Amino acid sequence: MRARIAAIEALSPAIKRITLAAADGTPLPTASAGAHIMLAIPGPGRVWKNAYSLVSPPDARDRYQIIVRRVEPSRGGSAWLHDHAAAGQEIELAPPINLFPIARRAAKHLLLSAGIGLTPFLSYLPVLRGAGQKFELHHCCRHAEAAAFTALLPGTGEAITLHSSRNTLDVLHLLARQRLDTHLYVCGPDPFMVAVLGAARDLGWPEAKLHFESFGGATGGAPFTAHLKRSGITVAVAADQSLLEAIEAAGLQPPCLCRGGACGECALPVLGGVPEHRDHVLSPAEHAAGDIMMTCVSRAKTPELVLDF
Amino acid sequence: MSGIKSRPLYAPLHLDPAGRTHLIVSDLQELPEGAIETGAAEVELWLNGNPIAEAAATGTLRKFRATADLKTNLSHRLQRAPVGLRLYAVGTEAFLWDINNIAAAAGLGPGEIFLAQAGSLRRRVYCTHCKTMNEDVTTSIVTCSACGASLFVRDHFSRRLAAFMGVAVDAEVPGEVPTPEVLYP
Repeated sequence: MRARIAAIEALSPAIKRITLAAADGTPLPTASAGAHIMLAIPGPGRVWKNAYSLVSPPDARDRYQIIVRRVEPSRGGSAWLHDHAAAGQEIELAPPINLFPIARRAAKHLLLSAGIGLTPFLSYLPVLRGAGQKFELHHCCRHAEAAAFTALLPGTGEAITLHSSRNTLDVLHLLARQRLDTHLYVCGPDPFMVAVLGAARDLGWPEAKLHFESFGGATGGAPFTAHLKRSGITVAVAADQSLLEAIEAAGLQPPCLCRGGACGECALPVLGGVPEHRDHVLSPAEHAAGDIMMTCVSRAKTPELVLDF
Repeated sequence: MSGIKSRPLYAPLHLDPAGRTHLIVSDLQELPEGAIETGAAEVELWLNGNPIAEAAATGTLRKFRATADLKTNLSHRLQRAPVGLRLYAVGTEAFLWDINNIAAAAGLGPGEIFLAQAGSLRRRVYCTHCKTMNEDVTTSIVTCSACGASLFVRDHFSRRLAAFMGVAVDAEVPGEVPTPEVLYP
């Protein structure tokens, strides 16, 4: 659907909040807490499809708001939104999809985020507060950005704690003292996710109580080629391009949803070559087997992959 | 079997290596041979002490005067326990699902509770007419302890009620009640 950029606000030198409205002024589809939208961002010679968590209240139908960090080096998406996007411009977006919903059976919600990973929780807060649900949010950020994040978290108190260099988060201690009725939600950069989820699993947290989403997205790597056996074509994957994008650039429509290695929708069977897994979906055993891969983030260890697509 | 697909199936029990603490509860006086392989792991075991009628607690073993007492203690324990606990229930089917429901109320979910049927096959039967629970039923037909209806004990099991459904066997022709057989010893 077509959307119009209604406003762009700088929250810090590297973080902007972008407000979108439907281009024709009609109410937008409702979202649910934790949902994301996909923006088709124009770039030189290609279109970037990036997913961004909604930070506006889920029941707001007059606007979608997202928060974008300028990634260095940017593959194109965040740089365009920071440098070229302007109020009044139109942009193509895919309606909200939620792969990171609130677990309704939890009696308490423990939310851990780092950096821009706070964004999905900004849509959680009004819902959890409205429903009178017990929650605890711990957000970790650089000291320089603490003020920007504090401004996004009204009502900071016992339930919300901001951690920067002067008040670091003791993850192990926090996770170890939770009761059996608590669910854990994690969102942030890869090292943060790995550390928190690793600590949780070591402490015996069951998988059913771990909820996480990562929009690190494809980070690029060595170029390789992928032979799509059923389609009968071979695509070249450039260093700054994901396998999914290369398949799309060849005119095909492979399955995908989150484009961040979190949902599992884009899984394709691997018939030849060795994938380099970068997703959060497959188990270590599945990674080792190497017969299935997530095209949105994973790459290749061998010069060529053969895929069943 | 009656072809009812909702009957729970029970897999052999194994200690979940991802758990930090392990608690096994049973409505039997002792765990059947091979019910669960505990290896070298430290495991707490709660048993039904009845008919010893004497509660005992030695090390990691606790014996309760009755399963009702065990359930009450479990509920308190689960409200205080930190995450990382794995709960295993061994025993009659009604007991298993009572434990499951106590655990679910305390927030335990899939991957934290494991059930295995052992001991008697006797059934708790829910009278679908007067809503009374009839405990320890071993026969194909039972007279409801509250309303006196002759209940056919169906294979239809409710996990929420932790009971099998009992329906009037003589609803069509009142008084025509087949001879009960012992099917659930």
